[in-house]
Amino acid sequence: MSQPRHNTMLSLSRTTSNTPSPAEKHHQHHPSQQIQSAPLSSPSPGLRVPSNRKTIYDRHLNRSRNSELSRASFAFLFGEMVTYAQRRVTGIQDLEKRLNEQGYPLGLRLLDLLFYRTISSSTSSALSSSSSTSASPPNRPLRILPLLHLIHGPLWRLLFGRAADALEHSVSPETPNEYMITDNDPMVNTYISVPREMSMLNCAAFVAGIIEGVCDGCGFETKVTAHNQPTELWPGRTIFLLRFGDSVMEREKVLERAGVK
Amino acid sequence: MSYYFTILSPTDAPLFNIAFGTSKSGGDGIARFRFPDTAQYMNQFIIHSSLDIVEEAQWMNGNMYLKHIDTYPPAAAFISAFLAPSGARFLLLHQPPQLPTAGSAAAASTGVGAAAGSGSVSGSSGASSLLGSSFAATASSSRTSSSSIAANPTSPQTEEAVRQFMNEVYENYVKTVMSPFYRQGMEIRSPVFRTRVTAAGKKWL
Amino acid sequence: MTSPGDAAPVKPPPSFSPGVARASSTSRYSTHASQRRDSVQSLDSNHVDPSVGPSPPPLSATTELPIRSASPYARSLRSSTPQLNRSSLASPDGGRFEGAEDVRSLIIRAFSPVVGVYASVDTDDLVHQKGFPGGFWGLIRPFGEDVPGKIVIRDSVGSSRGWEDYGVRFVDLGGQARYPPDATPGQPPPLTQIDEALTKDLEAAENPLARTLRPKDLAGASTISPLYKDFLHQLLSIPSATPHETFRHPVASVIAISSRNTSPLETLRQLYADTTNGDRRLPEWIHPEYLRYYVLVHDEDRDDIAESTKLYDQMKRHFGLHCHLLRLRSNQCVVTDDDSVEVPECEWVSPAERLSGSAEPLVDLDTDGRLYLFESDVMAIKAFVRELVAQSVIPFMENRVAVWNDQVASRRRGISGRFMSMSRRWAGFGSSSRSSLTGSAGGVSGNYDGARGFYRPDVPEAVLRKMADFAFMLRDWKLAASTYELIRSDYANDKAWKYHAGVHEMCAISLLLNPVSMPAKTKLGDIDQMLDTACYSYHTRCSDVPNALRCLTLAVELLKSRGGLATESAARWAMRAMDLGLVGSIGQVLLSERISACYASRPPLPGVRWGARYRKAGMWSVLAADLWLQLGQPSLASACLEEAEHLYASVLDRNEGVFPMPEMQAFVDNLRHTIQVEYLEARGLNTQESLDAVPPMDTQETSEKLDKRQHRRSLVVNPLESGIQDLADNEGHPDDDFERA
Repeated sequence: MSQPRHNTMLSLSRTTSNTPSPAEKHHQHHPSQQIQSAPLSSPSPGLRVPSNRKTIYDRHLNRSRNSELSRASFAFLFGEMVTYAQRRVTGIQDLEKRLNEQGYPLGLRLLDLLFYRTISSSTSSALSSSSSTSASPPNRPLRILPLLHLIHGPLWRLLFGRAADALEHSVSPETPNEYMITDNDPMVNTYISVPREMSMLNCAAFVAGIIEGVCDGCGFETKVTAHNQPTELWPGRTIFLLRFGDSVMEREKVLERAGVK
Repeated sequence: MSYYFTILSPTDAPLFNIAFGTSKSGGDGIARFRFPDTAQYMNQFIIHSSLDIVEEAQWMNGNMYLKHIDTYPPAAAFISAFLAPSGARFLLLHQPPQLPTAGSAAAASTGVGAAAGSGSVSGSSGASSLLGSSFAATASSSRTSSSSIAANPTSPQTEEAVRQFMNEVYENYVKTVMSPFYRQGMEIRSPVFRTRVTAAGKKWL
Repeated sequence: MTSPGDAAPVKPPPSFSPGVARASSTSRYSTHASQRRDSVQSLDSNHVDPSVGPSPPPLSATTELPIRSASPYARSLRSSTPQLNRSSLASPDGGRFEGAEDVRSLIIRAFSPVVGVYASVDTDDLVHQKGFPGGFWGLIRPFGEDVPGKIVIRDSVGSSRGWEDYGVRFVDLGGQARYPPDATPGQPPPLTQIDEALTKDLEAAENPLARTLRPKDLAGASTISPLYKDFLHQLLSIPSATPHETFRHPVASVIAISSRNTSPLETLRQLYADTTNGDRRLPEWIHPEYLRYYVLVHDEDRDDIAESTKLYDQMKRHFGLHCHLLRLRSNQCVVTDDDSVEVPECEWVSPAERLSGSAEPLVDLDTDGRLYLFESDVMAIKAFVRELVAQSVIPFMENRVAVWNDQVASRRRGISGRFMSMSRRWAGFGSSSRSSLTGSAGGVSGNYDGARGFYRPDVPEAVLRKMADFAFMLRDWKLAASTYELIRSDYANDKAWKYHAGVHEMCAISLLLNPVSMPAKTKLGDIDQMLDTACYSYHTRCSDVPNALRCLTLAVELLKSRGGLATESAARWAMRAMDLGLVGSIGQVLLSERISACYASRPPLPGVRWGARYRKAGMWSVLAADLWLQLGQPSLASACLEEAEHLYASVLDRNEGVFPMPEMQAFVDNLRHTIQVEYLEARGLNTQESLDAVPPMDTQETSEKLDKRQHRRSLVVNPLESGIQDLADNEGHPDDDFERA
């Protein structure tokens, strides 16, 4: 599935192997001999410190913020993830669900990292440029709109080096809780060719999981799904459909009345 | 000043606990709660009860650092809160040391008029018994050297110090969360993390 | 806390509880109620009674008072229960409960006008013959506390309002003890007495024969525990006639003679003289001009009604309209008599009386100790009390308020009063000679007698206070509050600290009672400020613990009944009362329960999960349970713990009913266990046997649950993640090295 065409280096705001990164997180899906050497989360008697005596706490979280990651290696990794997820699945929906679950914890982590990076670097305008508040430190999103802006702008930039392409609200009065984020050419799907009989599948379900993690972390109960919406110009165009839960919509009304932005 | 710091998951599960004392102005960094025999569970009760306030403030105020949000007057316990964007709550209980009674009497006499408005019903002398210990004299008077953190838990200086402390803990928390072996909701057991938090406490509080 | 696996905590058996005192008190209320219902009829029957003679038929006179029927409100209000409706309409949210009105009414009734009773010897003899040891005062006292029918009161702007629950308190001016009672050195202070009385109540509750149901079923956070109600009652019954407030100063005095008297008019004059300048004179800080009301008690069994009627006519000629002919039978009534009616018990019994048992609500259930009256006597007394209150006391008070408002208050309210802080020096009331600028102290009027600690009753400071108190007792809280407001600073300038405290206290309370003005947030701040000042002046400056406690307790109750933001304020004041050490050990627990109730009465905001204070309420209930246990009251502790579980339920449901924090869970488990053991021991049961039913305390269980909690429930557990979970668990239980504080 994955076809490394070029060894282009893509600015992904990614980290290299040793630092904690969303990419590295996927190690946890590898068999467990890796886990045995877990240096950090075990109690002190069994604590094993890397040979250079440096733990993750000794590394600066911003160290790798501008470093780049090979698109080829990412493509390979993601391809493996899809393959892994595809084992023992019952159907396309099941596969998408697995991909979503893989993305979800990533979203939770990215959220903390995103805010941390915004606080710690005064020069960065990653959050403030498109989120409704420009003050630093950034505000946690309390309403749906700031949350969507956070995803559309800063989160997308952190992940893919650019903002998402569109942000829309459902026009149907029956579904006021539905929002859509569009990516014309999802980076994760760049090297994915979907067989004809699985044409419904969109591996960006992984990204949908990330979005879901971000929303959930912020306290917005949401279901996020990825859908193919090809156009002539953008054959890989993908729509992420966000469906907020009832509790969120109730809260929106209360916050609206309370004047919370 | 004695501190009890807790990180709670979004479902209120404690992820990390530490108790320490101030290291400023000659403090030795050891927590001396006013009611040592009940402190263990009382600190948790007080922190747990302050979640009522946190949950409300959380949606009214988008800041990560919510400042001093709650007080438990019987133990003169002040609660400051910091919310990580992904839902973890950092709660710091701080309790000023018990002053000699003379001092608090003087503090109390500073003013009827000056006595705080709706927010703070504090500042009292006199003892009675609750939970087998004596009620504490709350010294929130601005007269007792407001520059030192130890004396006044609601002063701007204290707020700033707590903010710095919270930010530093947050940085380490993010590092923890970034570890591939950490899942959200897991207790943080890394001794390195504990050392880091202790160091932050020493540095700022 | 109670997960399904747990055995239920010891439920208090149905027999549990508060004890006879309370049982009898409920029956007392019901008697009251039924009497109240009867009252209309009975009065009507009295009304047509031809034998009353020239005396105007009591009720009709009231209803036909021109002023009252002229008011359009008066009649329309009669059909409804205005007070309840109005204040509940004004409540900010639906989160209020029946209990609030209950307490509110209790507080309002606690500040009823005091009417002195001074009876001639022959009158008391007649009453003694009827079997009443307390004399004429003892006979009519219980009937004053609940005046039958609706009492209509006009407020300062002329609108009328009917009150179902109006009452007066009769005090004895002729007894052995002088009124107001001095603090005799031999007696313990009133708060100690309250504590003792509560202890007695608790002991009574222990007695298995005396058990009645503790009203746990009506429970929920809203209702008030009977013991706490008892505490409030006693606190408000402390007979504290002091210079600084006039609630306990007689508004009127009943002077009674009987038809047996051989020289009736002379006796009446003598009795009047006794209370005016004789040995029954009241202390000089009580305003000497109060209403005198003359009563002729006719002995139906022995004397001729024609004679009495003639005498009564004479009385009216001599003493004016404030007279009444009370027809009583002198024979003793026993329960077996056909028309016997049980005498209601007094609601407002001072702690000392309660301790001495003289007015103890009848604890023994045998009927011997009870007093009975003929139905005709009861009717007559009720009609008398109603006439006294509706036609004399209330109009007198209304009149005084109007006069003082016009003569004293309006001057102070005028332009000069508003713009010159020391205006009274020029306004010239009391014509102070020391009107020179006396420097920083800011104007000392010189009216205050610092050495003896009071204002003479005729100086404006005292008159205004009396006027405000009258307005308060007439339930015109708006006028009361504005008048208190008017004189607040005067007392501070004179350093009359007790007055200062009192006026701040009552100002806050009348603001809170005023159903119309709902305090906004800023106003709440003002009230808090006043309470703070009052509390400080009472407690720190005057060491007046009972009044400080009264102030805080009233504040707590009224703030609580306001709902919303005010409930938190209420809880804080209750904590302050505990903090200052104003209450004894039982009081501490009662206040803890109350704090819990305050927090619990705050409902969550609609549509969202926040806004409630269930965790705080739960915590205070747990603390109260712990305190009850320390006092050796496992049954009450059990009730509190149950309440706590109820409160925590909504918070802990997402954690499967288990506290997330291990020490909390351990503490609560321990508490539950100890309560169970002590309860069983107290009942003399074999603890060992029943302990088997107690679930083993298993904190391990708790900690395991810690890690299984998922951040989200929307997705099934990822098999991989749970694999890691298992691994982590194998490394040792996550809780093992949990850092202890």
